[in-house]
Amino acid sequence: MALEVQPPSDRKRVKVYELRDNDWFDRGTGFCTGQILDDEPRIFVESEDEPERVLLETKISKDDGYQKQQETLIVWTEPNGTDMALSFQEAEGCAVIWHFVSSVQQHLMNVAAADDAFSDDLESYQSIMLPAAELGNLHEIDHVMRAASMTQAGRDALSKFVIREEYIPKLIPLVTVAEDLESLSDLHRLCNIMKSLILLNDNTIIETVVTDPIILGVVGALEYDPEFPTHKANHRQYLADQTRYKEVVPIKDALIRRKIQYTWRLQYLKDVVLARILDDPTFSVLNSLIFFNQVEIVNHIQSNGPFLKELFTVFDPRNADAKRKEDAVQFLHQCASIAKNLQAPARATLFANFISHGLFAVIAFAIKHPNPAMRTTGIDILVALLDHDPIMMRGYMLKAVNERKTPLTDTLIDLLHLESDLGVKNQLADAVKVLLDPQIPLQDAMGRAGPEHYSKPRPNILSDAFVQNHFDESTKRLFKPLKRLENRASLHDLTFQEVALHVHLVDILTFFVRQHLYRTRNVIHNDGLAPRVAQLLKVPQKHLKLTALKFFRTLISLQDTFYQALMTHNNTFGLILDIVYETMPRDNLLNSACLELFEFIKRENIKPIVLHVVEKYGEKLKNITYVSTFQDLIIRYEQMQGYGTEADSTLYSQEEGTSARRMPSGRWPGVGEMDAAEEEYFNTSDDEEEWQQDNRVNETMATPTQNGAASPIVKPLVDYPDDDEDDDAMDVKPEGNDGKEQQQTPQQEGLLDQDTTPEKTAEAPSTPVSSTAQAPPERLSEKRRREEEDDDELVKLSSGPKRRSSTSSSPGNAGLLRKKKSLSIGPLSAADKGATQGVLGTVTGSAPPKRIAINLGSPKSPSETDSLSPAANTISSEKENRGEKHDNESG
Amino acid sequence: MSDLDRAIAQLRACRLIPESQVRELCYKARELLIEEGNVVCVDAPVTICGDIHGQFHDLMELFRVGGDVPDTNYLFMGDFVDRGFYSLESFLLLLCLKVRYPDRITLIRGNHESRQITTVYGFYDECIRKYGSANVWRYCCEVFDYLALGALVLGASSELEPSGPSMNDNTQTTMPLDDAELETEILNSKGEVTGSTYRPRQRTLSDSSTDTRNISPPRDISATPGQTPLRTGAPGTGASGSGGGSYSSRTGSVLCVHGGLSPLIDTVDKIRLIDRKQEVPHEGAMCDLLWSDPDEIDGWGLSPRGAGFLFGGDIVKQFNYRNDLSLIARAHQLVMEGYKEMFDGGIVTVWSAPNYCYRCGNVASILELGEDTSNGGTVTRSNGDYGRSNGIISTDKPGVRSPGRRYRVFEAAAQDTRGMPAKKPVADYFL
Repeated sequence: MALEVQPPSDRKRVKVYELRDNDWFDRGTGFCTGQILDDEPRIFVESEDEPERVLLETKISKDDGYQKQQETLIVWTEPNGTDMALSFQEAEGCAVIWHFVSSVQQHLMNVAAADDAFSDDLESYQSIMLPAAELGNLHEIDHVMRAASMTQAGRDALSKFVIREEYIPKLIPLVTVAEDLESLSDLHRLCNIMKSLILLNDNTIIETVVTDPIILGVVGALEYDPEFPTHKANHRQYLADQTRYKEVVPIKDALIRRKIQYTWRLQYLKDVVLARILDDPTFSVLNSLIFFNQVEIVNHIQSNGPFLKELFTVFDPRNADAKRKEDAVQFLHQCASIAKNLQAPARATLFANFISHGLFAVIAFAIKHPNPAMRTTGIDILVALLDHDPIMMRGYMLKAVNERKTPLTDTLIDLLHLESDLGVKNQLADAVKVLLDPQIPLQDAMGRAGPEHYSKPRPNILSDAFVQNHFDESTKRLFKPLKRLENRASLHDLTFQEVALHVHLVDILTFFVRQHLYRTRNVIHNDGLAPRVAQLLKVPQKHLKLTALKFFRTLISLQDTFYQALMTHNNTFGLILDIVYETMPRDNLLNSACLELFEFIKRENIKPIVLHVVEKYGEKLKNITYVSTFQDLIIRYEQMQGYGTEADSTLYSQEEGTSARRMPSGRWPGVGEMDAAEEEYFNTSDDEEEWQQDNRVNETMATPTQNGAASPIVKPLVDYPDDDEDDDAMDVKPEGNDGKEQQQTPQQEGLLDQDTTPEKTAEAPSTPVSSTAQAPPERLSEKRRREEEDDDELVKLSSGPKRRSSTSSSPGNAGLLRKKKSLSIGPLSAADKGATQGVLGTVTGSAPPKRIAINLGSPKSPSETDSLSPAANTISSEKENRGEKHDNESG
Repeated sequence: MSDLDRAIAQLRACRLIPESQVRELCYKARELLIEEGNVVCVDAPVTICGDIHGQFHDLMELFRVGGDVPDTNYLFMGDFVDRGFYSLESFLLLLCLKVRYPDRITLIRGNHESRQITTVYGFYDECIRKYGSANVWRYCCEVFDYLALGALVLGASSELEPSGPSMNDNTQTTMPLDDAELETEILNSKGEVTGSTYRPRQRTLSDSSTDTRNISPPRDISATPGQTPLRTGAPGTGASGSGGGSYSSRTGSVLCVHGGLSPLIDTVDKIRLIDRKQEVPHEGAMCDLLWSDPDEIDGWGLSPRGAGFLFGGDIVKQFNYRNDLSLIARAHQLVMEGYKEMFDGGIVTVWSAPNYCYRCGNVASILELGEDTSNGGTVTRSNGDYGRSNGIISTDKPGVRSPGRRYRVFEAAAQDTRGMPAKKPVADYFL
C-alpha cells in the first residue's frame, strides 16, 4: 500500500546520539530529512562536515516507540535494540520531522488495524473516559484512575485522554474551591489524583504540570497528603517565591528563562514533593527532562558571547559591587556542577569558553575571599575543572610558569599553608595534589592548554627538564613547613593548625611517592624529607603519627632500594617499634597499623628490611610476644642466614607485592640499571652523613627521569569515553589474575611458601581457614563476572525500594529507562572504567586514593540510584512485591 | 560538657548543629575511635542494632523501644547513612552520643560508611543540600575511616529472664520450666511477648541448634544426647541449672560485624592485623567483613553485590567453633521480619530500619543480650584478648552455648511524630 505521507522538504540541523554502553555517544552533527524510498519511510541524517557520510539511516516502523521529548528531541529504539536520539537545533525542525514520523506511524497503524480485525489494542485505547472535573466526581475520578493505572494499556489510554482533553487545567480550579470549602476529603482525593497523574510517567503530562498556570494548583493539591492527614506542606509558598531566582546578568532569551524555571520546579518535584512516592520510571522521566533542559541552558549560556562578557566583567576590579561578585561566583559554581552531568565534549566546550573569558581570575578572586564559604565555592569550581581534565589544567599552569606569571599552584600552596578553615584546607590539599600529580603526561598537558598551543608547539616548554624543574620548585615550596621541623627541638607544642597542615603535607607526599617514585625521589632526597616525616612518628597527636606511619608503609610497599635505604638509615623502624611498645598490648588503630606493616614485611619477605630490623632491633623484637609477627620475623631472618641466596627471591604470594613490582617495569623501562647503580652505591656507603652529602644519586637519577617522561604509559586520572582503555584492560588481564589466583588459593600459596621456606608453611598468614574449608572461588572468574554483570548487581543494590505501581513494559518506557542510565555520562563512565582498572589488580597497591575509591557496586550518579532497574519493567502489580524485595534489598 | 549536651538535645529534635560544631565533634570522635581496636570488646548487657540508613524518626523510635542511651548499652552495626532523608541528623546524633558516653555506645563501620558509596546513595547530596558545601561530608568520611570493623560481645548470658506478665499461657503449659530454659524471646514495640523458644536445660553440651528455630514446643528431649557425638566433654556432669561457672556451660562470645565473614580471616585475631584507616577497599579482608552475606550454600560463593562473598552454614560453623563464638550478629540485608536467624542459630541478621526507604513495609528489630551474672559478674575471656593461648584447638573442646536472645520488633515511627519526610530543597538558584 502506497504511503500518502508527504516527506518534509528541507533539511534540519541535528545531532545524532546513540546509546552505547550506557553512554550517549555523539555520532555527529548533520542534516536530517525524511524520505520515502521504495515505499519505505526513512529518516536520513547526512554529516555536516562530510556530506557523503550518512550518520543515520533508519526505517520508520510502527512499533519503534518514537517519543518526542521537550521541543527538540526525538527518541526511539531501533529494531536491533539500540536506543537512538535526535537532538534538533530548532524546535521547528523537530516538529517537522516529528510530524512526518507520527503521520507515518499513524498510517502504518491503520494498515495494521485493517490487517488484523481482531486486534483489541485500539479498542482498549479508546475505552477510558474520566468523568467531568467536578468536586462531586472526585471519588469516581480517583477510582477510575487507579483502576486504569493497573495495566500499561490503561495507563496509555489514560495519558492520551488526559492530554487530549486537557484535563489537568480543568482540575486545578477545584483545589481552591475545595480549600474554600475546607473539604479535607476532597483535597485528599485531589492529592491522590495528582499523584496518579504524575506517576503515569508521561513526558507530556509532566511537562504540562510544571508550566505556569498549572504548577501551583498541582503542588497545592499535593500539599494535602492523605498519608499525613495532620500535616500540610507548603510547596506553593516555596515555588511562588520569585526571589529565589537570582539573576546576576539577565538572560534575555525568554525560552531559556522559562526552561530554567521549569527545571527548578522539576527538581523540587523530584526532591521534595514526590521524594517518597517516586517509582523508577517516573524518577527517570524527571531526571531526563531535567538533563535535557540543562543541556539546552548550558548550551545557550556558553554560546552567548555578550552574556559571558557581561558576566565576567562583573569581576573587573573597578567594579565595587561585592555582592554581585559573590553571586557571579555562585552562578559559575552552579554552571560547573551542572556541567558535571554533561557529556565530556559539551563540558569541555563550556569550560573552554569560561576559561577564555577569564575563569581563572574568578577562581583566584574566590579562593582569596575573606569568607570561607566563598573560598570553598571557588575551590569547588577549580576541582570541577581538575576532575574534568587535569591535564588541561596542568597545561595552563605550566603555561603561566613559562610566561613568568605566578602559577596557580603557587597561590594554592601559599593558601594551603595559611588557611585556617579546615574544610577549605582539605580541598586545597586535594587540588594541589592533582595539579602537581607527577604522573600526568606533559606533552598532552601542553597540547590541551588551548588550541593556539597545539598548533605551534614550543619545544623548549615541552622539555621534561622544565617540568621536572617546576615540580621540584613547587614541591620545595609546598613542603617547606615540613622541612622546618628539622630545627624544632620538641614536637610537643605543635599547634592545631600545624598538625592539620602536616597531615595534609605527609598525605600529599605519600601520594606523590606512590604515583611516581622516581620523580619524587629527588624531592625527598634533596630536602631530606624522610627524616622529617620520621620525626612526626613521635608527635603526641595520634592521627598525625598514623599519617606518618602510612607514608613509610607506602615506601615499603614500593620495594624500591632507594626508599628501603632511606628507612634503614634513619632509625625509622626503631621509631615504629617504639609505637608498638607504646600501644601494646592494647588493641587500637595505631597498633594494628604497625602490626600490618610488619606483617607485610614478613609476608613479602623483603630481605633487606628483615635483615636490618632483626640485626638492629633484635632485642626489641624478642620482647614483643603478644602476637607472633615479630617472632616470625626473627625466624625469617634465621632462615635467610641458613639458606643464603635461596631466600633472595621475594615471595609473590600477595597481590600488593606483585602489583608494586610490576608497575614500575610497565611504566618505566630502564629501571633495572638504575637499581643496580643505587644498590652498589648504598652497599658501599653506609654512613648516613656521607650519603646525604653525596650527590651521585642525583646524577644517576637525572638520566632516567628525562628519558622517562617522554614515554611512560600513563593512566590518566579521568577516563574519557572515547579511549580504548577497556581493550587495554582486557589484554593485561590474565596477568593480573595470576597474582590473584595465587593469593586466593590456599594450596598454591602453600606450595610457594614451601619453595623458599619449607618449615614455614603453617604460618602463612593469609591462608584461609583450614584445609577442610573450601577454597574461596577464584578471583578470575569472579572478576569477569563482576564486569559482565555490573548492571545486575546494581539492580540488586539499588533498585528494590522504589519499584512500585508501574507497568512499563512498553518499548518506549524500557528505552527510557535504559537511556536514563547514561545521563550522568562523565562521572559514570569514569567510574566504570575505574572499576575495570581495579579489577586488574595492577593498580591496587599503587593507585592514588582517588582511583581506589571507585569500584564497589559501580557507583552511579546519585540521581539515578534507583532508576536503573530493568526489573521495574516486569513488575506489573501495584502492590510491592515483598518476596522480590526480600532478596533484592540490600543495606 | 554542656555544649555537647546542647548539641545532643538539638539533634534529638532533628535540628542540625552548625558546621563548626560538626568539625569539633568529628575531631573528638576521631580521638576516641583511634583508641579502639579493629574489633571492639563489649561487655553484655548490650542491645545490638542493624542498619539505620538516615531514618531519623525511626531511630528515635528505636531508642523509645530499646531504652535511652546512657541507660541502655548500644552497639550499632553500621550503615547509619544514605537512603533516608536524615542521614546527617542520625549519624551526628549517634556520634554525639558516642563522644558523650563512649562506654555506652559502640559504632562499627558499614559498607555505606564510605566515600564512594555515600556519593551515590544520598549522604553526599544531603550534606551539600543542608550545609551548602561538601565540608561536613569530608569530616564525616574522615570519621568513617576510624570506625571499628567489628565488635565482640563478651559475657552474655545463655539464659533469658522471662519478660514476665504477658507470658504466653500456651507455651507455659507445653513446656515445663523445670526442664527448659528460655532461649529466645520476641517482643513487640509495646513490650508484649509475641513468641519464645526454649532449649532443654543442661541436658547436652550442644549449642541446642535445632531448638532455636521457632516457637514450636521442643522436640523429644530424650533424643538429644545422642546427637552430640562430636563433643566428648563429659555430658551430664553439670547437673545444676545455670552451671555456676562450670566450664562446659559457658556462653561463647558474639561477633558483630556489618556484612559477614571473609575467606582471608579464619580467626578473630586476624582482623587485628588490618590497617583499617582507609576507604573501604574493593576487595580483601576489610571489604569482605563489610560486604559479605550468608547464604544457603556450601562453602564460599560469589556475591551478586560485586564485593564480598557469600558464605554457607559450614563456614559459619567452622568459624564459630574455631573462635569460641556462639553467634555472629550482622546487618547489611533487609529482612522483612526485622531479624533472621540462619544455620541453626549460628548467625543472625538484625535489621533496624523499619519501612525501609519509606516504602518497603518491613518491620525492624533490635537484639538484646543479657549479662551473665552466674559467675558473679566475671567474664570468661575468650577471643580477641591478648594473652590467650594461640588457637590450639584440641578435639575435646567443650561446646559453647548460644546466648539468650531477646528481639524487640518495632515498626516505623507513627506519622504524627514527624513531618513528611522529604529532602531539603535548594535555597536559591541561578539556573
